[in-house]
Amino acid sequence: MDCCEPASTRRPDRPHTFLHHAPSSCVTCGDPIEGRVVLRAGAVATLVHCPKCGATEHATHASADAYLQDFLARAEIPAGHTGDHPWKTTTSTCPTCLALIEAKVVINDNRVYFTKQCITCGPSRALVSEDAAYYVRAYAFARSGTEPFKFSGKVEHGCPTDCGTCNDHEQHTCLPIIEVTDHCNLECPICIVDNQYSWHMAPDKFGEIIDQLIAAEGQCESIAISGGEPTSHPDLLALIDHANRPEVGRVLVITNGLRLGKDRKLAEALKQRGTYVGLQLDGFDAATHTVVRGRDLTEEKTAALAMLREFQIPTQLIFVAVKGVNDHQIGQAIDLLFKEDFVISVNFQPVAHTGHGGGVFQHDPLDRMTIPGVINAIDAQSGGRVRKADFYPLPCSHPQCVSLTYLLRMPDGDYLPFPRFVDYGKHTDLLKSSATLPATPEVHDAMLDVIHDAFARSDEIERGDDVLAALRDTLREMFPDRKLTQQEQIRIGERRAKSIFMHAYMDRHDFDLERLRKCCHHYPQADGRVMPACGFNMFHRGAAKGPETKLPAWAVAAAEDGRKHLRVVT
Amino acid sequence: MLLAGRVVLVTGGSRGLGGAMVKAFAREGARVAFNYSSSDADALATVSAVEAKGGVARAYKCSVIDRTGLRAMVRLVEDEVGPIDTLVNNAGVGQVLPLALMEEEDWDRMMDIHVKGAFLTTQAVLRGMIKRKRGTILNVSSLAGVRMVKAPVHYCTAKAALRGFTEALAKEIGKYGIVVNAIAPGLLDEGVADNIPAANKADYEANCALGRTGTCAEVAELAALLLSARNTYMNGATILADGGI
Repeated sequence: MDCCEPASTRRPDRPHTFLHHAPSSCVTCGDPIEGRVVLRAGAVATLVHCPKCGATEHATHASADAYLQDFLARAEIPAGHTGDHPWKTTTSTCPTCLALIEAKVVINDNRVYFTKQCITCGPSRALVSEDAAYYVRAYAFARSGTEPFKFSGKVEHGCPTDCGTCNDHEQHTCLPIIEVTDHCNLECPICIVDNQYSWHMAPDKFGEIIDQLIAAEGQCESIAISGGEPTSHPDLLALIDHANRPEVGRVLVITNGLRLGKDRKLAEALKQRGTYVGLQLDGFDAATHTVVRGRDLTEEKTAALAMLREFQIPTQLIFVAVKGVNDHQIGQAIDLLFKEDFVISVNFQPVAHTGHGGGVFQHDPLDRMTIPGVINAIDAQSGGRVRKADFYPLPCSHPQCVSLTYLLRMPDGDYLPFPRFVDYGKHTDLLKSSATLPATPEVHDAMLDVIHDAFARSDEIERGDDVLAALRDTLREMFPDRKLTQQEQIRIGERRAKSIFMHAYMDRHDFDLERLRKCCHHYPQADGRVMPACGFNMFHRGAAKGPETKLPAWAVAAAEDGRKHLRVVT
Repeated sequence: MLLAGRVVLVTGGSRGLGGAMVKAFAREGARVAFNYSSSDADALATVSAVEAKGGVARAYKCSVIDRTGLRAMVRLVEDEVGPIDTLVNNAGVGQVLPLALMEEEDWDRMMDIHVKGAFLTTQAVLRGMIKRKRGTILNVSSLAGVRMVKAPVHYCTAKAALRGFTEALAKEIGKYGIVVNAIAPGLLDEGVADNIPAANKADYEANCALGRTGTCAEVAELAALLLSARNTYMNGATILADGGI
C-alpha cells in the first residue's frame, strides 16, 4: 500500500523539537534574552536570537529524555507546600499596556496561573489552565514541526516582532484562515476581530493568496474562508472556486449561518463545490445566543442546521464556550455530532477576551473556561460516550493550544473514541502534525501499529471485535484498487472518523509567546505575510482590549521599521 | 537443549513429518501442543512416545480450516500448556492427480488445508505473539513449491503460496520481534510421499546428490535448529532440505 502523498510535496521537518522558553542570554554580548529550549538528536540545546549579535546556541543537557523527565518533575508540588508552586517562566503580556513581560508559571490547587509584574502597570495574575496535571503532561507531547517550502520573512528582531512568519517559526501553516471581508451581519459581544465594514477582498487578490500558500506549503489540507461574515462577500463563490484546486483538500467557509439558513441557492452552490461549513453554534437557547452573539438566534441556527442537513454539507460546529453562560450546553453539541452524519467535528473554543467584542466582554481572568474545563464538561454531559481520558494535546501546534480526540465509526453506526483502543503514548505519530488523519507514511505506519495492537488486545479493549471490523472496513475503503485524490481520501477519513477538538485562542491575560512560536493557524495576508492567529489578534488588529486599543510600544517601533505594518490590510 | 522453556504448536502433528517434529521438539525441551483432524490413535501414539521419554506433548482434535475451533484451541493450549511462542504450520495433504482430472473441490481442499490453514492458525496464534513481542513461526513448504519437480499442480501451487506467505508475513510482523521462515523438504520417506508413484521416487533418488529420499526425523532436526535461539537473524527465508537436487 503506497502512501498517496508524493515525496516532492512533503515539507521538511524542523531540525529539532521545540519544548519551551526559558530565560537565557546571548553567548556573545551577554544580554539577557529568552531562549528556546529544543530537543535535538537526543540532547538539549538552548537557541537564542540576539537582535544585536544574531543567532547563537549552547548545549543545555546531554540527554533529552532525562531533561524532559526533570522538566516535568519540577511541576510536582512538594508535600506540605501551600500557595503558588513556581514551575517555569515564559513571556506574556501586561493585560493593561500589552507590554511583553515575563510571566511566572505557577501551580496552585491543581490550577495553573501566570503571575506577572509590569514595571508600568503593576502586578497581574491570570488563570491559564483549570487542570495542572493536564497542562504539565501536555509538554510530553511536544513534537517537531515541519517547515514551509518558503518562509514569508526571516528573523531579525525576534518573536513576535518579525511576524509573518519568519524562519524561526516552529510550525508551518496547518490551517490558513483567510479573512475575505470586514463586513458582518452580527455584532457579537465575543467577536475577536474588529470589523470596520470597509472592504471585501477582490477575487484576484484572493487567488494570489492561494498561489502564495501553495508555493509555501505544497499542499493545504484545509483552507478556511472567514471574515467578518464571509457570506457577506458579494463574490464568495468566486473565491471558493479559486481555492478549489487539486492541492487543497477542503475549503471551509466559517459562518454564523444566518444567510445560509434562508438561502437555498447558496447551500446548493456550496454543495456543488464540495465546500465545508464551519457553523458557529454556541448554544441552543435564546439566553445563550443573546449573551454570546447579541440576540436570540435560535430560529436562524435551527434553519442553518436544517439546510446543512438537507444538503448533507460536511459541517464543523464551532462552539465558543463561556463559563457560566453556555458550558451546560456542551453535551448537546456532542449529541449533534453523534447523531448527525453531516456534522463531522465539533471545535470548542474557550472564549478569548480580545477583539472588538471579546476585548470588552465581561470576564474574570482568574475564573474562566480553559481546555480542561471543556473536557470536564464533555465528560459530565456526554453520558460516558466521551470521557476525560479520551483527550490528548495535539502537538501539531503548541500542545497547550489544541486538545482533541478522534471518534471511530463502528459497524453499528455508533462512534468510539480512539483512545479506547489506541495507546497514544506509543503511537504519537498519529498526533504529530495534523488535526485530521492525513495519508502520510508516518500515519500509515502508525495505523498499522494501531491495528496490530488492537488485534493483539482485542479481548481486552472495549468492543474489540467491532473495532477490528471498523478498522478493516476503513482500510478497504481507503485503499481501493485505484488511486484516490487527496479530496477523496479526506472524505473517506471523515466518514470513518469524526473529531472533537478544543482550540484555546489567547488574549492579553493568558498570552504565551511560547505558544505563539509554534502556532499553526495562520491568517495569510495580501502582502504575502502569514500571521499566526493569536499574534495577529493581539498585536495587529488594534483591538486586543476592545475597539481602538493602543498598540504596545514595541509594536509601534516595529511598525515604524518601514517593512512592517501592523494594521489589518486595507 | 535447543528449545528449553518453549511452548510450540505444531499443526498436523500426529504422524509423518509433524509427528517427528513433535518428538524432536519435546526432546529438545519444548512443551509441545499439536492438532490433528482424523486419527485419534496416531495422536495418542505420538503423545505416548513423547511422554515415554519424559517430554510434554498435548494433542487437540481440531481442523486447521475451522476458524472458531482454532481460536478456542489456542486459548486452551495457552491455558493448559502455556503462551505459544513457536508455531509450525505443518498441516498438509497429498493427492496424486493430474490437472486434467482435478475437480474444483480437489483444488479447494489442497489450498484450504495448506494455505488457508496456515493463515487461520497464524492469525489465532499471532495475537499473543504481538502482545508479548516475540515469537517464531516456521511454515512447512516443499521443494515442490520452490523448484520445478514432478508433483501435482495444486500441491505445488499451495506449497509455493506458503513461501509467499512466509516472506510477506516476515515483513509485516518483524517489527514485533517475530521471526518467520519456511522449510522446504524434498521427498521424504513418509507422509504425503507415502503414495507417490514408484517411478517418481526413483527419478528423485537419481537426481539427488545424496541418492536417497530424506527422513522425517532429519527434517525435524533441522526444524528444531531453525526454531531455536541459534537462529535470531535469518528471517523470511525458505530453507531447502532436499539432499541436493
